[in-house]
Amino acid sequence: MTAPETSTNQVSHLDKTQEHKENAPLHSQIQDANLTDPKLKIETGDEWQRLSLISILYFTIRNFTNMAQGLIYAIPALAISFNIWDNLLSPEVLIGAGILLLSTSGSGVISFFMYKFRVYNQHVEIHHGVFQRRYTNLPLWRIQNVKIERPFYYRPFGYALVVLDTAGSGKEEAKIVAVPEAYAEALKKQVLYEKEHHEVGYKGELAGEELSDKELSDGISSSRTQSMSAKAADNVNTSEEVLNRRSVKDIIIHGITNNRVWIILGAAAPFYDDVFGLVSEWLADKGLQLNQIVGEQTVAWWQFGLYAFVILMMLMALVALLSVGGALLTFYGYTLSRVGDRYIRRSGLLNKLEVSMRASRIQMITAKQDWLDKILKRVNLYFEQNSTAGQQMQELMSPNKLIVPSVTENEAFELSQEVMPGCDLRGQSYQTISKRFIRFWLLAVWTLPVFGFFTLGAVTSHLDIMIGAVTIFISVALLLTLRWWRWGIAYDNKYVYIRRGRIGVDYQCFEPYKAQQVIVKQSVFMKRKKLATIKFVLASGAVTVPFLPEEYVNKLADSVLFEVESTRRSWM
Amino acid sequence: MTNSAQKEAVFSNSQLGVDEIPTLKTLTLLPISKKYRALNIFSIGLIALVLGGIATAIRLQGFWTLPENLTLAYPYVVAGIVALGSVWALYHFFADVRIFYAIREQDISKQSGLIFRKLSCQPILRVQHVEVNRGPLDRWAGLASLQVFSAGGEMHTFEIPGLSIERAEQLREFILAHKDIGAR
Repeated sequence: MTAPETSTNQVSHLDKTQEHKENAPLHSQIQDANLTDPKLKIETGDEWQRLSLISILYFTIRNFTNMAQGLIYAIPALAISFNIWDNLLSPEVLIGAGILLLSTSGSGVISFFMYKFRVYNQHVEIHHGVFQRRYTNLPLWRIQNVKIERPFYYRPFGYALVVLDTAGSGKEEAKIVAVPEAYAEALKKQVLYEKEHHEVGYKGELAGEELSDKELSDGISSSRTQSMSAKAADNVNTSEEVLNRRSVKDIIIHGITNNRVWIILGAAAPFYDDVFGLVSEWLADKGLQLNQIVGEQTVAWWQFGLYAFVILMMLMALVALLSVGGALLTFYGYTLSRVGDRYIRRSGLLNKLEVSMRASRIQMITAKQDWLDKILKRVNLYFEQNSTAGQQMQELMSPNKLIVPSVTENEAFELSQEVMPGCDLRGQSYQTISKRFIRFWLLAVWTLPVFGFFTLGAVTSHLDIMIGAVTIFISVALLLTLRWWRWGIAYDNKYVYIRRGRIGVDYQCFEPYKAQQVIVKQSVFMKRKKLATIKFVLASGAVTVPFLPEEYVNKLADSVLFEVESTRRSWM
Repeated sequence: MTNSAQKEAVFSNSQLGVDEIPTLKTLTLLPISKKYRALNIFSIGLIALVLGGIATAIRLQGFWTLPENLTLAYPYVVAGIVALGSVWALYHFFADVRIFYAIREQDISKQSGLIFRKLSCQPILRVQHVEVNRGPLDRWAGLASLQVFSAGGEMHTFEIPGLSIERAEQLREFILAHKDIGAR
């Protein structure tokens, strides 16, 4: 059926018996399999495949979560329509709940039977959906990202979930719900291979699609294809190198530093009574009685306050624990590694999550350092790729951002050098923004409301309101000053750097040729002072630096545009 | 992409003197159609008229009796609609004649804004697709707006409004015929 030299038969889990028999003697070739086309092992033929039985568990759990999410919205409606607490244990409710439970568990089995897939002719095809049948057809070379997830209940059985992402919208993602782990890996490798192949073919000014469609699927390997395969395979199969690991300690630090609210609240705890007393006194002074607000309750207002305080403390402890726990859940055993031109992040305690990103896709490096990070000398490093998918995913899980949590400053430097050679975030002499930035924001935005507040205090002769207004004004001015002090931009003919932040500092770095659009803004007043704002639109989002010297902005805009248009390099 | 990246990295432009780089300052800016301002002001008038009409209809209808407060509020509502409408129309009166665009070999630019002047430049190399948009009023006035999409996301869709339909089509053809389109 196919040329034997192109087959590497590492996957024997999948029920493709004929092929296995055919290729059985070739097992010895696995060693030199690296340079051959790994296509065969993932093709399932034109027969539709069922998933492994374990997927019933996945479907059931998914349906349960979906139902629970739906119910959350239904609760207020239910609560309004009848007094839920009185009828909670009535037979009707119990029967209803029972039916819901049974149907949901049954739906897992139904979902299982309604799902079939095949990988055939370089396409992943999936039929799924119970009420609304969906048919997904993904050409392998269109797939941008492959994620392999291993929910904890899959792990003992050696199964994995493959999530295939296309460049387009987030809705176009396809899931192959349960396949053997080795098959998942093989599929991933194949997709990466296929992409490489496609792009190499493209660069050779060949009709890439036709080529990978016809010649490859027919198993014909012309000399040209072979040389390209070798090149592509070379890129895909080079050995994996671990760039960074995070220890449990690092992850705990990350959990703490990235949820800082509780620290402020916690540190202020001894003063809570005083603050509470002061606030209520102040309010009483203004004619508001807290116990009036609380109403005709049986508890005194201070008791109520105490409860509130205790609950707040418990909540904060919980939040802290959750934060560290969440960090451990997502980042346990974190490794960042490089295979060929891809960066792969693996982490997770229960669910092993794997995100891979091509180096060329990275649009920007962001190094974020908040005040607590600054004290601990840690940096959160993000590699951002295009975020046009539209849907905002949770930052940590998002495939658009590859995060390296809480690395030390040196590691951050090394990693950014790794991704963008010669990029030095700190070593730049940044062009700072004009002081008019502070004045503009103070005058245009803050003066009027604060002044109004102040006059209100003056008219009603309340000194505290006046002091409050002045305090707010001063603190805003201070924050703006900090912001002005941090904000800067630098260009070293290879990269554009941006520094920003208030108390913490963020550094951003991108290659100018990846810009999608350049925008220069200038108000009438800024023009008079020869200032301008520059904005770069990248596929990963936009970056703005305001109140720069006009001359500088024009020069920078021109050079960035020149870089884009003259190098003609792809942003992907 | 390591191999090709390395190859291409050798090709660099940093050696070029700054003077040799084309600059945005020398752009020849073309105005958009004059009808655009008239159309905008007309449609604002239309919207104000419809809103005022609704308020008047509610005020004068005899199906149910309005609360006292609403009857009293009627003149203020109408005055508010007129005031907002005129401010909005006034903005367009001054701002719309200040929308310009420019085409270069490699990019298209647009300048717009009344107090905050904004010059955006879209390299054609980065264009994903182009649309010519015509609303019902646009069709009536023979206008069209050109929308150019890049990977920068919907927030940053490059749009030139108020072009004559011929010009919009011409620009679209120019962008589509550009050799960089399709080469990602």
